[in-house]
Amino acid sequence: MRPFFHLLRLWLIQLRYAATRELAFRANFFVWVIVELSWFVLQLAFVDVVYQHVDSIAGWSRPQMIVLVATNQLIQQIFTAFLMPGLVKLPELVRDGKLDFVLLKPAPPQFLISTSQLEIGPLANALIAIVVVVFALQELHITPSLPSILLYGLLIVAGLLTHYALLLALVSLTFWIVQAESVLLGYYSIFQVARLPREAATGWFRIFFTFALPLLLVANIPAATLLHGFQIGPILLFLLTCLTAAIFASLFFRIGLRRYQSASS
Amino acid sequence: MIPSLTALPTVFSIGLQRQLAYRWNYLLRALFSAMPLLVSWVFWSAVFHGKETVGPYTLASLLTYYAVLLVVESVSSPADDDFQISREIREGTLNSILLRPLPYGLYRGALFLSGRCAYLVAALIPLALSFFLLSRVIPLQLGSLDLARGIPALLGSALLQFSLTLCLSLTSFWLLDISALIFLVYSLEFLAGGHVFPLDLLPPTLFQFAQLLPFAYEYWFPAATLCGSISHSAWLFGITMQSGWALFFILLAHSLWQAGLRKYTAAGG
Repeated sequence: MRPFFHLLRLWLIQLRYAATRELAFRANFFVWVIVELSWFVLQLAFVDVVYQHVDSIAGWSRPQMIVLVATNQLIQQIFTAFLMPGLVKLPELVRDGKLDFVLLKPAPPQFLISTSQLEIGPLANALIAIVVVVFALQELHITPSLPSILLYGLLIVAGLLTHYALLLALVSLTFWIVQAESVLLGYYSIFQVARLPREAATGWFRIFFTFALPLLLVANIPAATLLHGFQIGPILLFLLTCLTAAIFASLFFRIGLRRYQSASS
Repeated sequence: MIPSLTALPTVFSIGLQRQLAYRWNYLLRALFSAMPLLVSWVFWSAVFHGKETVGPYTLASLLTYYAVLLVVESVSSPADDDFQISREIREGTLNSILLRPLPYGLYRGALFLSGRCAYLVAALIPLALSFFLLSRVIPLQLGSLDLARGIPALLGSALLQFSLTLCLSLTSFWLLDISALIFLVYSLEFLAGGHVFPLDLLPPTLFQFAQLLPFAYEYWFPAATLCGSISHSAWLFGITMQSGWALFFILLAHSLWQAGLRKYTAAGG
């Protein structure tokens, strides 16, 4: 238990340092809130346009689809705030040899890289996503119980772990490929799957994105928990697959790290 | 002027070599760029469930639109030209380019062209492969593309996107960090440019409004023209609007460049 508290303390110190750095550029904070918000509005506009032509998609009504899209946005924004900024710096650290400074510190490198940065702007957008979820639930006349809300929170954490696993695996490619900035494009491209209703996918697509890469579960399972209540099977499947993905990604990172050769003299 | 223009093929060649040095990066980009098509297939198949048409589209024509959009994007969208220009201005490396007897716009144009060529080379195999595989499961209608009208629209889109990128990048003379501005415009391009859905799925009033904006001529217009879903009169209107917007952004970029140079200072060797 002691190592856990030690890492938690380290994370809090890193967060405080990163927050101080972020708040030095307040105007930047507001600009990025607007930018991220515009992408969310874009997704909602898409839902609105499609539902002008149909009443239901794979059994999901318009407000249900908004719960799904907003849940996905919530997970994405929390991930963008806490973990993503550190991970995307890895290709640069490897290319410039600055990873040396991370490796010299007495803490697990994967932990230090993942938690070194913070972006406050996305947290504001995470709040907006919660508000959108609440409004959509009101439109559906659904008042979730406290256990449902707590379970929703737990599943959001599982969703974060899935995002983390995928991006960690993608940025770890940088140990093999010199300029791996495209992996970020890959991350955004692949995570479009998370916005799909699970029932829309069939065949190998559904099997692959449920069991191998559980992206169809990331936003679907938390959203379904709010909309339809507790469903033990899908929830257990989601928790199991996201843990497996995180373990594999961590192993991949370690294998890659063994290839690292400092770029400095 | 003319002797300086003879340097453009050399700039193009250097740019091409620089871009191909990172061919794995391009290959990854191309591979990942096929992902949205796959997602569109799954999503729109569910939307079309039990329906023949949505708006003016059948499932096959809509998926063909998304597939053609991938080609339009790889031919006409700048990669990281905006950030490169911004860095040149911010870090002062613009100095060495200013000393050369070559107009900056043309210099960047040659590099943009080399970037697109490198991307096309790297993307050709993954794109062809993904089209082939997807056409086994998706009813793509790639056999009846309107190339005669589509290629001018595609080239117009490249010119428009390059000139818009140039304008955005040149704001670096005044702004410390332009990434927020760039991502904001990206989101507008995605929505109002027909990247997320074809613009003719919008309600008629919004569709008419979108056609007045430059973004429609970046993606929707060339893709819809290639798909053959635009009448001749609408194409003529589109080409005129596209050229007009491209000219507007070229002139704006020229003004920004002139004003920016008056403000620009760089120290150091």
